[in-house]
Amino acid sequence: MAETERDEKVTTGYRALGSEEPPRTLDEAILAASHRSPSRWRVPLSIAAVLVLAVGVTLRMLPQRPDAESVALAPQVMETPRPVASAPAPEQPKPAALATESRMRKEVAAKPASRESIAADAARSTPAPAAAGAAAETSVGAGKLAAAPLTPEAWLERIAELRKQNRKREADESLAEFRKRYPDYRIPEPLR
Amino acid sequence: MLAYRQGDAGAFEALYARHKGPLYRFVLRSVKERALAEELYQEIWMRVIEARGRYSVQAKFTTWLYTIAHHRLTDHWRKRGLQLVAADDADPPAPRGYEPEPRAQGRQELQRLAAALAALPELQRETFLLHEEAGMTLAAIAAATGATEEAAKSRLRYALAKLREALGDG
Repeated sequence: MAETERDEKVTTGYRALGSEEPPRTLDEAILAASHRSPSRWRVPLSIAAVLVLAVGVTLRMLPQRPDAESVALAPQVMETPRPVASAPAPEQPKPAALATESRMRKEVAAKPASRESIAADAARSTPAPAAAGAAAETSVGAGKLAAAPLTPEAWLERIAELRKQNRKREADESLAEFRKRYPDYRIPEPLR
Repeated sequence: MLAYRQGDAGAFEALYARHKGPLYRFVLRSVKERALAEELYQEIWMRVIEARGRYSVQAKFTTWLYTIAHHRLTDHWRKRGLQLVAADDADPPAPRGYEPEPRAQGRQELQRLAAALAALPELQRETFLLHEEAGMTLAAIAAATGATEEAAKSRLRYALAKLREALGDG
């Protein structure tokens, strides 16, 4: 050593004391810990996971909101009487919603759609005066409505309305159909 | 270390393979109790792993590693109520529990060397071990231990003088 006196005899003697190494178990524990430590991918992956989860939840929740479809169907199905206390209260009909309903009903009749696609269609819909007029002329029977791929909320409203009108058989059939279609949906107590 | 900080686990394995022996002996000969040495040794590496994000190329990895080791050992001595002194009159008795295994040289001579090493004041022994085991320069030793280069040089001289004496060469 240039900067201080190196003593070769001390160095040799020190080396002769042995060259212990850590036990293998210790090596393994430390190396395992080094692998467990956060890598450069961990943060981006966690962000990606959160994004995927957020998108999934958003998509899942979209059809469950009182969207244009359920709002639009309500005034037609329930012309004068109001729904039973337990059924969700429909919002006041709006011209734009009526127009949306008309378009959607036509599309629904043409092709049974998934809940997501119905919601997406409703979101894309724009009011059309001519369609609104057509909607006013449309009269849909209870059985047909129950069989149509409505949102679960609208369907249950329809069943509640049938019960209120004492159309028990139709209501029961519709409810049975509903249970088949949505086996895990929680049906309100008065409708069961 | 930079590669490891970027997520390259293989880079850590290479570093570990290169430094594990010297660091282990540095700790073992500092505390002289194998079980305690293993515990401290593992803690030092854990601190390295945890602190990798703060590593920068301001110092050699060796200096950085032994700075962490120095801090851990200092904590250990403080917990035990021992004061780090380099004075010649503060030599503690050589504790039991660590028996080096002499090899080629005369058994007695090596035993004297081992006893003299164990009896060195902590800071002198630490300086000697950093020099012998880690191959660090006085500047690096000073940086790792928070001392001046002059202080490191002085400690090393004291340590070498005592070890030479133990070998019958004083």
